[in-house]
Amino acid sequence: MTSDVVGEAPSGASPLRSAMTPSSSGTRRPRSSRLGAFTVPAWLLVIPLALVPLVMGVWLSLRDQTLGSPLPTNFVGLDNYRTDVWSPTFGQALFVTGMILVIGLAIQIPLGLLLAVLLERGIRGSRFLRSSLITPMLLTPVAVGLMWRFMFNSELGVINWGLSLLGIPGVDWLGTSPAAIFAVVIVDSWQAIPFVMLMILAGLSALPASPREAASVDGATAWQTFRSITLPMLMPVLLVTVMIRLIDGFKLFDVVFILTRGGPGTATQTVSMLDYNTAFTFLASSRAAAIGTVLAILTLPVYWLWVRASRGVE
Amino acid sequence: MSLPKRRRHVAAAVLALGSLLLAACSAGGGDVTPTAGGSASTPAEINLFLIPSPSATALEKLAPEFTAKTGIKVNFTETEYGTAHQKALLSIQSKQGAFDVVQFDNTFLAPFANAGALAPLDDYVKNSADYDFNDFSPALQQYGVFGGKDYGLVLSTEPFLLWYRPSILKKAGQNVPTTWDEYKAVSAAISASGTPGQVMGYGPNTDWWWMQLVWSFGGKLYDDNLKAQVNTPEAVAATQYYKDVLASAPKGALGLNGDDVTNQFISTNIGQMIQYSGYASLIYDPKTSSYTNDIAAAPVPAGPTNAVELAGWNIGIPSDAPNKDAGWKFLEFALGKANAGKMLDLGAAAIGRKSVTQDPAMQAKYPYLKLLGLDTPGLQVYTYPHLVVWPEFDKACADALAGIVSGQVPVQQGLDDLNTKLDTILAKEPRS
Repeated sequence: MTSDVVGEAPSGASPLRSAMTPSSSGTRRPRSSRLGAFTVPAWLLVIPLALVPLVMGVWLSLRDQTLGSPLPTNFVGLDNYRTDVWSPTFGQALFVTGMILVIGLAIQIPLGLLLAVLLERGIRGSRFLRSSLITPMLLTPVAVGLMWRFMFNSELGVINWGLSLLGIPGVDWLGTSPAAIFAVVIVDSWQAIPFVMLMILAGLSALPASPREAASVDGATAWQTFRSITLPMLMPVLLVTVMIRLIDGFKLFDVVFILTRGGPGTATQTVSMLDYNTAFTFLASSRAAAIGTVLAILTLPVYWLWVRASRGVE
Repeated sequence: MSLPKRRRHVAAAVLALGSLLLAACSAGGGDVTPTAGGSASTPAEINLFLIPSPSATALEKLAPEFTAKTGIKVNFTETEYGTAHQKALLSIQSKQGAFDVVQFDNTFLAPFANAGALAPLDDYVKNSADYDFNDFSPALQQYGVFGGKDYGLVLSTEPFLLWYRPSILKKAGQNVPTTWDEYKAVSAAISASGTPGQVMGYGPNTDWWWMQLVWSFGGKLYDDNLKAQVNTPEAVAATQYYKDVLASAPKGALGLNGDDVTNQFISTNIGQMIQYSGYASLIYDPKTSSYTNDIAAAPVPAGPTNAVELAGWNIGIPSDAPNKDAGWKFLEFALGKANAGKMLDLGAAAIGRKSVTQDPAMQAKYPYLKLLGLDTPGLQVYTYPHLVVWPEFDKACADALAGIVSGQVPVQQGLDDLNTKLDTILAKEPRS
């Protein structure tokens, strides 16, 4: 039965019965263990590639290892957490990360939704638009960061030139703190909006047409149909998209690294950027491991929400 | 399948696996195993770890000549500055013997040497007539020394210089400034005519310029007991000055890193620039610079103290290098007295040898060379502090200065906060 594969008990079956399967010898063996055997190859990959580094990272965070010292390392307990996580610098990095996430989502979700709805309606040239709009998603963040860095140049950049044509004074995009944060959000959103659009477009395509057709027959306007029928049905997809973007946002590094290096000062220093600086600029491996561990813990609630939202999509 | 046939297959599989393992082992040590044409004492090839720069490019151009002379092939790995030092350190600490020569910024001399990542070069240097250590000024002889041992040869000598556009100064009726007060006045006069008067780095590397001013104004970063000294009256005056001259800088100066400063100066109209001499090849290259015939150089202005900040690349031999002698042979060849002029012609930043910087023919070709002597009476030469915690110290200064220069934090308060933070960082410095 197909539902056995995904672990769903047939309706009316007792949990115990559904979990037991007769073996060839006639003895009963838990079905979950039989099914679990199929996941062994995956675990063989996950354990060495994910779990071992994770455990080693936590272990490293409790020691005092630095790349710049030849001395043996010592156990320091939670000292690294006290000095590097319970610190204003980490707090500010967390705040910057949160701000970039919130402003980014406020731009990416409405714009992605708008584009998806327009494309779903099959406006003229939608095929071409669909292909061209996903181009930013295909580019590497480093290339994107470099391109935008030139564009944001105060003296020579095309953005300030464009603003000057409109009579708006140029902005020091990468040199002042509010503008630099906004610059990071713009670049991140430019790359993320196509992803959001594709996710929502896929969700829209999967929605049943009959409720919307019924609403139309009942005289609902397009806006009423969208607000009261399409949007609620789309909500699980939107939630999953938001969760994925949140997880991406916590990892935001490459664009910041190329665009501002976390500056001016620490104005755009995200937690990932702080972690990088601690590990690879200050050469303080254990302190960086502490920051990385906390960053991983911070993403756990998002993962939990993502799992819940995914169930809604199913 | 019959048993003998199966055995043959098993034997073949074992042989294949063995060959793979052997290949893997030899690949791991491939950098160290002499191949055809090599011997135990003279390897067939050496591997250099370089950081993209004019000096690295010149080394690569010079390598075929070395190969022709010695038969040793030279391989290069280039890694961009932002991650180069970490990669080099990780490679050396894993003792893979991947590189025979490593280029590094002088700021990483202390972390590298303290980590035991570099081999001392004293014996090589002392015993080499071709290298001729005495051809360097005393300041440069100390440039690669940490804890009394020489770990890095001078690959480039790059003091701060004042670069200026004679036509812009002339138009504004100004002379070349020799003091920081004059520099400020000239900058203001040029700015009054609508052209940015000067540019320095106010972006991610802001503290490099700030340190020059602190030293010029008679201040210091920390005392002999490793107590931070960045909120003294001298440091406050220097920081205030640094902030004040921002008014004469081009729009967007707060975001300019070291390279951006030069690019801005050579592609737009700016009266003056404080920049390392190592950018000379970029400044005078018609392919990159729009004003090659309208840029001149002068010594960096003096303050209460006649100080100059000296930067530049070091190059050394990793402690795990499999071919240390061959690595030294290459360094001796490329950076020795005989080829120092050639390196310059190949686009490298000047190594800083007196035989080159004081050579009238070379000075005629590269006028800025006469400014690299660093032996002017009364001139105090400062290098970046040789601290193991320098990377963190550097970042803390840059972060604090961003807030101060942009006016978000008052100068005195910002420096007081920075002083406290630097004390915490300096407390981590290993005491000898």
